[in-house]
Amino acid sequence: MKTTFVKTVIVFIVINLLTACGGQAKTDSNTTKLILGAYTTPREAYGELIPIFAAQWKEKNGQEVTFEESYLGSGAQSRAIIEGFEADITALSLDGDVQKIADAGLITHDWHTLPHNGMVSTSIVAFAVRKGNPKNIHDWADLAQPGLEILTPDPKTSGGARWNILALYGAALRGQVKGVAANDEAAATEFLKSVLKNVTVFDKGARESITNFEAGTGDVAISYENEVLVGKQTGQDYELVIPTSTILIENPVSVVDEYVDKHGTREAAEAFVQFLFTKEAQEVFAKHGLRSLDTEVAAATQDQYPAVTDLFTIGDQFKGWEEATPKYFGDDGIYTKAIVEVQQ
Amino acid sequence: MTSITPPLTTQEPPRRAPWGRWGIQSAAWTYVTLLLLIPLTVIFQDGLKGGLGTLWQSISMPIAWSALRLTLWTSALMAVINAIMGTLTAYVLVRYKFPGKSLLNAIVDLPLAIPTLVTGVMLVVLYGPQSFIGAWLKDQMDWRIIFAPPGIILALLFVNFPFVVRAVQPVLQSLDLESEEAAATLGAGSATIFWRVTLPALWLPIASGALLSFARAIGEFGAIVIVAGNIPLRSQTAAVYVFGEVESANRQGASAMSIVMLSLAFAMVLLVDWLRKRGRKDTEE
Repeated sequence: MKTTFVKTVIVFIVINLLTACGGQAKTDSNTTKLILGAYTTPREAYGELIPIFAAQWKEKNGQEVTFEESYLGSGAQSRAIIEGFEADITALSLDGDVQKIADAGLITHDWHTLPHNGMVSTSIVAFAVRKGNPKNIHDWADLAQPGLEILTPDPKTSGGARWNILALYGAALRGQVKGVAANDEAAATEFLKSVLKNVTVFDKGARESITNFEAGTGDVAISYENEVLVGKQTGQDYELVIPTSTILIENPVSVVDEYVDKHGTREAAEAFVQFLFTKEAQEVFAKHGLRSLDTEVAAATQDQYPAVTDLFTIGDQFKGWEEATPKYFGDDGIYTKAIVEVQQ
Repeated sequence: MTSITPPLTTQEPPRRAPWGRWGIQSAAWTYVTLLLLIPLTVIFQDGLKGGLGTLWQSISMPIAWSALRLTLWTSALMAVINAIMGTLTAYVLVRYKFPGKSLLNAIVDLPLAIPTLVTGVMLVVLYGPQSFIGAWLKDQMDWRIIFAPPGIILALLFVNFPFVVRAVQPVLQSLDLESEEAAATLGAGSATIFWRVTLPALWLPIASGALLSFARAIGEFGAIVIVAGNIPLRSQTAAVYVFGEVESANRQGASAMSIVMLSLAFAMVLLVDWLRKRGRKDTEE
């Protein structure tokens, strides 16, 4: 009770501080300040992108641009922005989280008109396995072997964890999982259950999950390719396994109309978003484990990012998040029911 | 921790300036209202928005119900162990002289100062599957501590250690040694003295300490989110469930569970209060 109380107070204070800071974001002719509300994964990429943009902006307009950056889980960031964290630009893990901001009336333009439908970077769902792959995990079917210990974040708390579940389910529906007939929902659900049975830890978010794996828990972590690649860049000795069939993770970006108009920062914010789609910026994303959408950059980095045999998207396999969220993760959703049945 | 709910006696200050007293009273009320009552009201309002039926519906869903059950049984088991070991610690602290006694006395309160998240991480390092102890237990006895209920109980024990000790200690200190000496001269052995003379005088502080730690355990989040594994229906507690509901934008479900947790904790605190009043009456008689 005491901690709940303390938490309430802290949340109260933090929200107030955030709104207070947001309120002060004013521009004069010589300096402007942009607030970026992003999800956690591309933090390092933005750390590199922001100085490049600031230099370009200064050269073109003679104006100093500073950034305030906030990185939270995608769902939490989306909620913070809706509840009054005045981010000028938002970069989130999935379409649905940006859509929530739009539904709250804060994004009034059609943000899908940006290049690539508003998606600034992509990745795929893949596996991290122990060095030498001792459990012989090469594809989805291998995850169902009895006694295997799997880590994946909790789809309740991690918007990104939902990519993992849908990647598995999509692969099963497409007939890409050994022993599961194509387009057979009942069989796909059975397969989902046999994998869920092996999950030992549902961490809060993708980051926590891979950290837990790095600490030595589990035989395999279902994660994003970029998380695994970044982990390997920092010297972790696990291995990346790309399944035959997997989902393309698409990360959207948008200007938040309500707040840029309030701060008078629309011009700079839009320029920053446009900049993210340039070849130069896409190369930075590629450097930090994310698959580039720029065809030239993608071609140049194809050794690092091998093509997937059967790649599908949330749109073509599940008709978008709007349909998939209630169908799989709602109170009567396929995943929600499966996790209950597995434990009984 | 007797300091959490001290006995509610009224000591009237000398009457001089009536509105000075009014001012102080209203300041206290305003503070309590702003800081406690309003946020609590909002939680209740949120959870009861759809009426008691919706609240029941949210709680009786299998995942929610099992989270609540897991929280209650692990907290209860912790409270029992805490009652026994806390009393033992208090007894040692009061009745024996030994080197390092003041150090032990200081260590008792430490769990209150450590962020519970750190407690969780520490337990994973110590007992997790990659640790020596954790791996041995798993290989030899097929016994899992971390990412299973034993880990939850360990975390709760750590976090709630001071409650029983600090409730029992002062009572034990003020306990009259005469009756124990009388029992000894009548030929009672030390075990009999403890069971028949000392313990009966202590059961109220033991019970209130254990109940307070139980109330505190219901809402524990930081340590548990690290050690529990968070698998719905297996190792997900009520507090972690609430976090999940908040994160997936089901505020009503989160508030509903919070109301149940709050009510349970509040009932415990009331019970402790009642026990204390009874205890005072007994000693006055």
